[in-house]
Amino acid sequence: MPSFLDFFLDPILRAPTLGSMLMCLASSLIGAIAFVQRRSLLGEALSHAAYPGVVLGVLFAAVFFPEWEELLALSILIGAFFSACLGLWVIHKLQRSYRVSNDAALCLVLSLFFGLGILIASRLQFTHSLWYKQIQIFLYGQAATMTDVHIGIYAILGLVILFLLYLFYRPIQAISFDKYFTESIGVQVPIFESIISILLVLSIVVGIRSVGVVLMSGMLIAPAIAARQWTHKFSILLILAGAFAVCSGFLGNYLSLQIPIWFHLPNLSLPTGPMILLTASFFCFISLLFSPETGLISRCVRMISFRDRRYQENILKSFWKKGETPLTFREIANREAIPHWLMHFLLYRLTAQGWIVKTGKRTFQLTLDGHQRAARVVRLHRLWEVYLVDYLGQHAGKVHRSAEEMEHILSPELEKELSELLKDPKQDPHSQPIPSIKEIL
Amino acid sequence: MNPYWGKGFFDFFLTLFSRLFIWIRGEPITLVSDEVQLLVLSGVAIAASSVGVFLILKRITMLANSLSHTLLLGVVLAYLFTFSTLHESRFIDVKILLVGALIAALLTTLLTQMLTHFMKLQEDASIGLVFTTLFALGVVLVTLFTRSSHIGAEAIMGNVDALHPDDIKLVVLVCLFNLVPMALFFKECRMITFDAGFAKASGLSPSLFHYLLMVQVAATAIGSFRAVGVFLFLAFLTGPVLAARLWTQHLSSLIFLSIGIALFNTLIAVAFSRHVLTYFQYPLSTAGLVVTSIGLFYFLSLVLKKIWKSKFKNATISL
Repeated sequence: MPSFLDFFLDPILRAPTLGSMLMCLASSLIGAIAFVQRRSLLGEALSHAAYPGVVLGVLFAAVFFPEWEELLALSILIGAFFSACLGLWVIHKLQRSYRVSNDAALCLVLSLFFGLGILIASRLQFTHSLWYKQIQIFLYGQAATMTDVHIGIYAILGLVILFLLYLFYRPIQAISFDKYFTESIGVQVPIFESIISILLVLSIVVGIRSVGVVLMSGMLIAPAIAARQWTHKFSILLILAGAFAVCSGFLGNYLSLQIPIWFHLPNLSLPTGPMILLTASFFCFISLLFSPETGLISRCVRMISFRDRRYQENILKSFWKKGETPLTFREIANREAIPHWLMHFLLYRLTAQGWIVKTGKRTFQLTLDGHQRAARVVRLHRLWEVYLVDYLGQHAGKVHRSAEEMEHILSPELEKELSELLKDPKQDPHSQPIPSIKEIL
Repeated sequence: MNPYWGKGFFDFFLTLFSRLFIWIRGEPITLVSDEVQLLVLSGVAIAASSVGVFLILKRITMLANSLSHTLLLGVVLAYLFTFSTLHESRFIDVKILLVGALIAALLTTLLTQMLTHFMKLQEDASIGLVFTTLFALGVVLVTLFTRSSHIGAEAIMGNVDALHPDDIKLVVLVCLFNLVPMALFFKECRMITFDAGFAKASGLSPSLFHYLLMVQVAATAIGSFRAVGVFLFLAFLTGPVLAARLWTQHLSSLIFLSIGIALFNTLIAVAFSRHVLTYFQYPLSTAGLVVTSIGLFYFLSLVLKKIWKSKFKNATISL
């Protein structure tokens, strides 16, 4: 059973692991740029468009240099690069000159190029069946058969991508966020756009060997999506995406060997490409669920805590409106549209936190603290109503709804500003008294 | 004995028409492999290009692409639920395939919409994330399931030579499934496609239409699964429709024209594949040929359209 370190030292495991990690790094950085430019699906079309180039590259190597194995990898790379570039050009042309919509152009190029690749491959299948296997690898990717030659090539290509990205970081960043502004300050946008496109093609060409044509687009965007959930800064986005991608590159290789061992299938190794992608999208879903700002769970928590606060303050308000008289459970429950079980829980919480006290059997009364808090909520409500009517010119009959929301949101600072702006009014638009600031303190 | 054996490109058509004539006169003929190919591919062409019209007009073709990937997971899941193993039967049961397609269509559409609505992700990014993840899951499950790390490339490329006359039934079924709702509710479909808001206001449900369309796409993908593979049917979805779009502005003529273009290319490709087999002695992938021919047809019509336009322009200027 290989340990973690073996994946970097063992001569057989080393090449696929390092190769995948390099490839993931390169593709995630470019993918992040494509993602912020909202061109996530371009990678999908281009990776399929690279396929006929792969086939032609194999054909070229098979016909002219059948013994020289190192050349095969290179000729595949070059073939794939040019065919993906051609695909990119066709997409561009279709969209600009013939007004074909984006998705249709992508889908057309994807299927046409892939079909062409399959046509040429079917020709090869019968004349060069050994070489045909080399082509099949590129469909789903196969990291296991990578050698040190591949690492060399991919490391160089990865470094080229990193270097170009470092060199043109500023203009690329500017173009990604505001193309027209960037153009107006004199940056040659078309040049940088073609640099980005060529980088995209390069990273796809590097990637399809280990992840495969079909899954390449996922590898481009998944780390970017994951990283986007944690940051708003472009530089941190790139770093995080790279980190996620390198981790998934390693874990994909690790798990593809480990999972069969856990399931007691010793002779099986799971395909590496899909495992890398599954790891990356696992990171993605974790981020989508748990990231502190945009994650689904944290948004739910924020929503629930706001609702909790609204319920609590509404209950306190009901007490306040009744004056000093204690209320029974039934009276409170009838005033608020809250289910009874939740009402029990809320009243228990309010009692425990000291806003209300239990005075008799199922009757409650405000404490001094509770009285102040309720008065503050009512004050905010009525201040907001005055503001809406006096400053925004709304009709007095329509302001209650908005104030019902805002009374839970307004902060003490805003309250101070409001009361200064409105010169500390004594009455709201419905001629109800506004609790004075002294009542709250 | 296959009557098409040793025939060239034009002889193929002669043989086809003479056999068609015999069939019309009522004499029984047995379908040979070329005719099965032709029928299945034509069925796929009709089904795919009719659905493709709506996909292109609604600008959701990439969703169809995503579906063609997730189909794999759908089929694997359907097998898991029916407790059969993949390597037991070489021939995949049609019912299971259809259930799988349904699962895949619903799962993909639901997940993609969930990501865009609840997780606030861009639509194209969520499409990309969902289908690649589901496809990867499908590949891993197939590997674990069949206990071999060699996945047949047939799922991707299709194998026209392995077609069976039973496949014709499936394809006809798919065609009916696509065409009948469209013919019955043509007005409603048109309304939803061009003005979803107005359609909703007049009591139709655009989201129901969306799901129906996705299920139809999945069914079409299943129909083409064995013939052209799950990916090449995308060419059928987009190519003929885009070519037809150059020449017409009406929805009904767009549908008929794109079906016609798809059928024409199918015929050419099957004949050409026979031609190559006869004169060069190697089989080319018919699916690949169909796609290439669609591509050529599209670019030819782009050029023609350009010439047409420039002529028209010159005429108006000279007037």
